[in-house]
Amino acid sequence: MKYNRTEISDKIGFSSVTDPKFKTNLLTVRFITSLCRETASANSLGIGVLSDANSKFKTIAELSEKLSSLYGSGVRSGSSKRGDLQILSFTSSWINNKYAFDGENLDEEMTEIIKDCIFYPNVSNGEFDSELFKITKKELLDRIDAELNNKRGYAISKAEEIAFRGEPAALSDMGKKEDAEKVTSADAYRAYQNILRTAQIEIMYVSSEENNTVKDMFTEEFSKIERQPKEYVFNSKSPVKPEIEISSEEMDVRQCKMVMTFKTDSDDRFALQMLSMIYGATPVSKLFANVREKMSLCYYCASRFSSVKNIIMVDSGVEKVNIEKAKAEILNQLDEIIKGNISDEEIQSALLSLDNAYNAIGDTPSSYSSWYFERFCNGKILTPQEQFMNFQNVTKARIIQAASTLKLDSIYYMLNKEAE
Amino acid sequence: MEKNIITSERTGDKIIHVKHDSGLDIYICEMEGYSSIEALFGTKYGSVNTMFKMADDKEYTVVPEGIAHFLEHKLFENEDCDVFELYAKTGASGNAFTSFDKTAYLFSCTKNYKESLKILLDFVQAPYFTQATVDKEQGIIGQEIQMTNDNPEWRVFFNMLRCMYHNHPVKIDIAGTIESIAQINADLLYKCYYTFYNLNNMVLSIAGNVKADEVLAICDECLKKCEDKGLETVFPDEPESIVQAEITEKQPVGASIFNIGYKCTPCKGNERLEKVMAASVAADILSDPSTEMYQKLLRDEVINSSFGTEVFTGDGYFTVIFSGESDSPDVIRDTVSAEIERIIKDGIDENLFQRIKKSTYGGLVRELNNVEAVANLMMNSHMDGVSPYATIQVLSDLKSSDVLEFMKNELRKDRLVMSVIEGTV
Repeated sequence: MKYNRTEISDKIGFSSVTDPKFKTNLLTVRFITSLCRETASANSLGIGVLSDANSKFKTIAELSEKLSSLYGSGVRSGSSKRGDLQILSFTSSWINNKYAFDGENLDEEMTEIIKDCIFYPNVSNGEFDSELFKITKKELLDRIDAELNNKRGYAISKAEEIAFRGEPAALSDMGKKEDAEKVTSADAYRAYQNILRTAQIEIMYVSSEENNTVKDMFTEEFSKIERQPKEYVFNSKSPVKPEIEISSEEMDVRQCKMVMTFKTDSDDRFALQMLSMIYGATPVSKLFANVREKMSLCYYCASRFSSVKNIIMVDSGVEKVNIEKAKAEILNQLDEIIKGNISDEEIQSALLSLDNAYNAIGDTPSSYSSWYFERFCNGKILTPQEQFMNFQNVTKARIIQAASTLKLDSIYYMLNKEAE
Repeated sequence: MEKNIITSERTGDKIIHVKHDSGLDIYICEMEGYSSIEALFGTKYGSVNTMFKMADDKEYTVVPEGIAHFLEHKLFENEDCDVFELYAKTGASGNAFTSFDKTAYLFSCTKNYKESLKILLDFVQAPYFTQATVDKEQGIIGQEIQMTNDNPEWRVFFNMLRCMYHNHPVKIDIAGTIESIAQINADLLYKCYYTFYNLNNMVLSIAGNVKADEVLAICDECLKKCEDKGLETVFPDEPESIVQAEITEKQPVGASIFNIGYKCTPCKGNERLEKVMAASVAADILSDPSTEMYQKLLRDEVINSSFGTEVFTGDGYFTVIFSGESDSPDVIRDTVSAEIERIIKDGIDENLFQRIKKSTYGGLVRELNNVEAVANLMMNSHMDGVSPYATIQVLSDLKSSDVLEFMKNELRKDRLVMSVIEGTV
């Protein structure tokens, strides 16, 4: 495997990963911008419309026909959230030329399509084609509505909204429905033009052979844009609330959800990650072994550390009558850690689990892409193996110290109506 | 021990298949350049196998709904510890799943795979059930059942199956119900275990950074020879007709969702693979974004990008499903129906057919790029009674007339079911 990153322009990085084992190529362009209520929906719509058509293949039908003739090559685009930032991504993947039985040059054909989607979208009179925009807008409104369909995901979003109130991270990357409804095609196009000028941009290209076609295209196209890129802060701690905030909502569901957010001002992110592994991120963790296996209270009860906002979130699915019992045990298991009740085996198994996970990075094109993007955001390019060494140095004392800095900030409950 | 090499002519990939003396079929794919390993130890035993007997038994045994899944949970507990604790010492990530027609125990790892493989082979061959551990599991699985009941995608799918199948157990929830799992006891678990966890009914599939010789040496060491006892599973007679054409359930969802399914005639082995391919291409022809039908539904705001298709099949069931979010699923049902009639009358657009074949081929090549997908491909193909690389060949031999024939015979209006989940808010 060969990794290389160069700046092709001010605040535009191009990373290439070459690994001969892959049968497919993957390109991801990530536009990094601030997440704010005024622009979230317009940005999301601006990026969303790009993968539907372009100035050569003007409709969804035309572009889709072309892509399926190129062995089901894919393009997709959309937005996501990373802490206080909005990440707008355009992704494309296609199979290697050697598997194209009609001898097509897929690298060249796809580079051309990607170029047209990103730099020459279907636009006239300063706005996206109205038919395309209408479809993309309905898609976004539907996505916002559909958030409620996935109860576990919805509960986590609500918990973030409460935990990060007043910070950009409280917002959805899709924006609010009432804001999204007001965005016009011209607004979305203006937002996209602004993104092209001001966003930090990271391009990741994973392929089986070295090939400059994609990089040359981006270098040339971005040289035509007058850039005024902004600086973004990638990780920011969330201040803990003076009092624990409890928020609940009743719904016609069979299983209740409880999401607890803990915050910390500790800078020891490696110890915090190890803490989360031992606390509730594996099937031998304290939460799994006690709350699920020993007490049979939940089907899932898991912790997750986010270095982006410096939080540990514990989410669980639980019956209403057992909520207080589960909550008490979740807090009790944290206390056990603070008291030093961590065995060498627990530390060792957390390390082994991380070692295995880090070694698997590189077995799919997308794992390379996200790994190197995250390293860029964290300001230091490391291989997964180099990163793992940081965990090997974490001592039991550091884990206990990290645990003692955790403060419960807020709890979100989704409650069952019938169980009243 | 018979050993043979299966090669894909198109991609050059290779798989080693061994019929082990213990009775087990073993598939190994050494994938150069990959770090991870995925291993699956599976049995042809899923939620649909509620009635069975051995060659020597006089009567069929009938077991409670959800028992295959319950057994999967309980096998993770040894006499002295939990299997997760054993994997914790090797760093592997262990898991298991039960589907309609199979149960599989798996691990993925990048190091110490030999130790993890021993753990996998040992614990699956060493059942330990007591009434106390059975009772404890009822709470956890009860929560799992509640969680899936709140999952609208799950509900819409099972509601559709219940409208489609009169008797076939595919219509029952994989985990059963709170009431049905209450009937499960340790004796019943042992009965099911010794019936279905016979190595002659099982398969080991392992892909990634492995060496075949090492895998086979561990198999020689850990596998206990099993006598083939002539397992027979039986399904109740299932009429060709559907139960009811429509069902709607209300749930707290933000977007209404639908499953529109055609009940088709089931079949087995290579015939099934050919039929799956014809069905899958037929469904793609009917849902391709380049078609006029798709464009009209999109313009009229009846569908969004969640519109998709699936071919769902196994022992005694075969369906083609159209799914997605929509406020007007009846319009989709009627439009798809009318489009099928039009295609049967006018024929299949040959260009569209060729494009879909190419696109499907691209998807199959992608699958071979992924360790987990390769391990699953080998297990599933074995259980379906076909060769792992047969799909690419069947696809290449497929003609548009086969697809047309499938549409004529199988996508029938009188076998059409629509299931909808509507919002309560």
